[in-house]
Order: sequence, then structure tokens, then C-alpha cells
Amino acid sequence: MTVCIRGIGWLTQEGYGCVATGREYRFDEGESVNTLAKKGLFSHPFRNFGRLDATSRMTTCAVALALKDAGIAYSPTEKQEIGIVGTSSEGSLASDMAYFNDYVTNGRTLSRGNLFIYTLPSSSLGEAAIHFGLTGPLLFTTGGPDAFGDTMSMAAEMVAGGEAHRMLVGRVAPDEALYFLLDREQGGNSMRSLDETRSLVASTCGVSEQVRRFLILKDTKGRA
Amino acid sequence: MATKAVIVATDIITPYGMGCDACWGSLLTNRTAIATISRFKTEAFMSDLAGTIADLTYHVDASLVMQMIDRLFAASAVTIPADSRLLLATTKGEIDFLEKSILTGNGNVGESSLDRLLEKVVERSGAKGGSLVLSAACTSSSAAVARAAAMIRAGHADCVLVVACDAVTEFVYSGFSSLMALDKNPARPFDKNRAGLSVGEAAGFMLIMSGERAEKEQRTIVAELAGWGLSDDANHMTGPSRESEGMIIAIHKALQSAGISGQQIGFISAHGTGTLYNDAMEMRAFYNVFTSARLPVYSVKGGIGHTMGAAGLVELSMACRALHEKVVPPTVNLIDVADDANGWVAERCQSIGSARHALVTNAGFSGVNTALVLAI
Repeated sequence: MTVCIRGIGWLTQEGYGCVATGREYRFDEGESVNTLAKKGLFSHPFRNFGRLDATSRMTTCAVALALKDAGIAYSPTEKQEIGIVGTSSEGSLASDMAYFNDYVTNGRTLSRGNLFIYTLPSSSLGEAAIHFGLTGPLLFTTGGPDAFGDTMSMAAEMVAGGEAHRMLVGRVAPDEALYFLLDREQGGNSMRSLDETRSLVASTCGVSEQVRRFLILKDTKGRA
Repeated sequence: MATKAVIVATDIITPYGMGCDACWGSLLTNRTAIATISRFKTEAFMSDLAGTIADLTYHVDASLVMQMIDRLFAASAVTIPADSRLLLATTKGEIDFLEKSILTGNGNVGESSLDRLLEKVVERSGAKGGSLVLSAACTSSSAAVARAAAMIRAGHADCVLVVACDAVTEFVYSGFSSLMALDKNPARPFDKNRAGLSVGEAAGFMLIMSGERAEKEQRTIVAELAGWGLSDDANHMTGPSRESEGMIIAIHKALQSAGISGQQIGFISAHGTGTLYNDAMEMRAFYNVFTSARLPVYSVKGGIGHTMGAAGLVELSMACRALHEKVVPPTVNLIDVADDANGWVAERCQSIGSARHALVTNAGFSGVNTALVLAI
């Protein structure tokens, strides 16, 4: 079985978009990832989007874009067997600091559960699973510069091995996010091969440059 | 025919002490290791109890988890092949470094990074065939073991070392207290009067090989990792699904992956945290899947507490032991079994007859579920 890339969603401080459809949007003044939920990025209202930690907001927006790029619909009532594996070099450090600083400021007597829940590195993936109804495997990974390539291979193995019908795999940094939708190749649904994507991601720094190169590849080769 | 993934060595350090023998023997005596914690002040919290490992030193140069891991590998006679891939499973790793930095105003919060812990574990274990941290809340280590088995079955690796660790810190303790998740008494999984979990700490490793490599190296096979299933409830960040559908999916996937029916499972090592909702969720799933007979079910968390990211690996190690000993341990602290667990869970040892397969289930925040099938 061949596993392929079917959709790519991306997000930077300047804008956001999809690769297969080539859609790209620039943030207007005063806009940011924090305002995307109100702009209709999600196909149904995202409850408490403003209460999510920054990593969860980036993750859920990038996932929404990857699903849209792959033409996969979702709803608040129906779940689907898609898994999610994500990586980030920072992990939950920002949320760890927010939680523990708040606890210390309150005299080490009062801690806030709504801050604590984001101190798990996998929490942002959990928020995505809940909003998009993803019932497949959910894992956070990290481990140095090769982590994303290894993570993508792991997600592909999960699809190939029948552990999940489809997988979302991506990475988030404080100011950018990139998510891919992996699927079984059938009937020309492939946008990019996995090896090609891994190679491009490994050899290119930064989401903006990676997206630029994906778009060039798309324009020169078309859909596989 | 797919390559078999087999466990060739495992060891753990738990609040019962060093080694699988200490944990197994103490579980059989129905004694809890959950006790008053002195590591930090607990007056503001719902409980003052935890399952901690004796003689660990808090807020010193070495983190709690590295102190556990150092002891674990120092005591182990197992040879870890240098070409082993390493999967490190944890939720909060060296979070005590972040605590210390914030509380003292000195140090670098980045010391708590999971990447840095991974580098230390690579050095300490000698597993240098590539490494990755896996984290999936309280299913971290069971998910890591499942990934190791999947890599071997697919032919992408023939030797994987899974290391798991998590520690009782003020950070996690205050957090669980804020979520009203702690029982003021030692956790009582599957009891009518259960009122929450007790936090615990542990570290462990599991060396997993392809059947071919294990044979070539003349390794003793502890058990086969015959099947696994991972799922998510996609329902709630901190509470399990009231329908149990996520756990049911995970169990069905695990049985399908193992190529066996539910009737071949001899017993279940449950996640069994002692919270009202987790234990009820698991029992609903077991009723749904195992319709022909009630199986022996137990939880170790009344004995050692909820060891978070390490829980799955510790429980897999104990389930391997139960398969060989033909008996499952008592569910420690169980006094008055909950109606839904009656006939499944017991306060005494239960025989498993000639069963050769076990199911180990875990669940966690974000709605994650794992189910693994062990075979001997």
C-alpha cells in the first residue's frame, strides 16, 4: 500500500493557506491566528477557541486548513477514523510556565485546572481531536532535528499498517505551523509522495520557505 | 508472515522498590505503597498521599526521573544492544527543573525540555540506534510499546528499547488537585466508594525484539506483543466518554491485530485509576466486548498510585508476570466492589487457568485509549 500526502495546511505570522488548492491569505492589520475562528476558518463554531493555549490555537487552525485542502469535511456530530501525530521543539514549555507561575503567584495554594490541562505536550492534539472528531491514534513526539521526519514516517506506518484510516501529521512552533493529511493512495488523490515531502521538509527551514517550494513543485508537476 | 514482536527483558522501579519481583510480590500481599508525602507541602491540596520511591532527592542537580532511571539501569543485568532504537515515554519528564527555576529564580526552565531528557536516556541506556520521545498523556508508555511492536512487525526495526518515567512533583500534584481528581484516601479502583486517584511515580524499560533476532541472540522471551489498538474518544479533554466507544474501538483493534477473539483473553489489566468516571468507562467497555464470560480484572493503582506516563509499561510488566504465574494479583484497597465490577474485580488473587493471552488497557487526558494483547 502506498501512503501519500493529500492536503497541506500552513500558518505563519503573516498569513495562512493550503497547498493543493493554492489558496493563500494574508492577515490584515489587527488579525492573527487568534482571530481566525471568528473569520470562518472552521466549518462549525469552535467553542472556547479563545481559551485554548497558543499551541492549541495554532494546531487546530493548521489542521482545519489541511483537512480543507484534502477536501475532507467534518461536523460536530460525526466522528471519523483519522489519527493525529504532532511534534514541536518547544513542547508544552510555555503552558508549563504559565501554569506554575500562576500557581506560585497565588501563594502555592491555588492552581488552575484550565491552565494545567495544557501542560501535557499532547493537549493541543486533544483539542484538535475533539473539534474535528478524530478517533484514531493520538501522539506527541519530539527528539531533535530529525523528529519531524521520523514522526511523518510513524504516521505513514500507522496508515499502511491499518492502525488508522488517515493520519494528520504536523509540527508547531511559536510562530508557525504546518500540517499534512496522509491517506492511502487511490484514484489519483495524491498531491505529493511521502518521500518527496520528507525530503523537502528535511532540507528546508521554516514553514514559509517550505510552502513556497511545495507550491513551486505543484505548479511545475501538477498533481501526481 | 508478519514478524513477531517479543519482549525479551523488562524491569521497573516503583514505590514498592526496585524490580519486577518487588512490585509483583507486594501486589500479591495486598499492601499499598501509597503513603503521606513529604516532598512538598500538601496542606492546600485535596490529599496528602502519593506513591513515591524511597530516597529520591527533590530539587537537586539530578531530576527525580533521572535518579529513577540511573537506579534502574545500574541494577539491571540486561545487555541493551547499541543499535536499539529508543522510544522514551513520559508526560512531564524533568518538570522538577522548571519548578526549581521558577521557585528559586535561578536556573534555566529549558532544562526541563524533553529533548534534553532524551539525550540523557540515550547515554544512560546505550541505545543509540535513533531515538524519539512519545507522549500521549497516561497512555504514553503503552502507546510507545505499541509503536515499538508496530515498527518490528512492519520490518522497520528489529530491536527497540522503550523507557518510561514520570515523577511525583508539586507541579503535577497541584494540577491533579485543581481538577478535583485526588482521593483523600489511597486510591480504591473499582470500589463502590472510590473517590479519585493517588498520584504515583515509576520508571521502567522494556526491550523488544523481532522473534528472529531474539532467537539469534538466544534471548529469553518474556511474552509476545501480539496486538494493539490506539484510539481517541474525541469527546472531552479530561473526562472519558460516557459511552466508552473509544476504549471499545481500541480493544477491538487490539484483538483484530492479534488475530484472536475475546474468548481467548484470560484476564484484563485495567487502567483502573480509582476515579468514578474512568473505572465506569472501562467496565462498560469490558461488558460490551467480552459478552460470553466475566474475566478476572485488576488494577495496580491502589498499590503504587497512578504513575502517569510510566503506568502502561509497569502494568504490561506485571501482566507478563501474571501470565506466567497463572494468577492475577488482588486489586489493592478494594473493600466493597462496585456493582458494575462485581464478578470481574476482586480483593484477592484470581486464577487464570491455562490462559495464554492478556489484555492491558490504559486511558488518559485528551480521550486517548490504548489496548494491548500479550501472549505466551
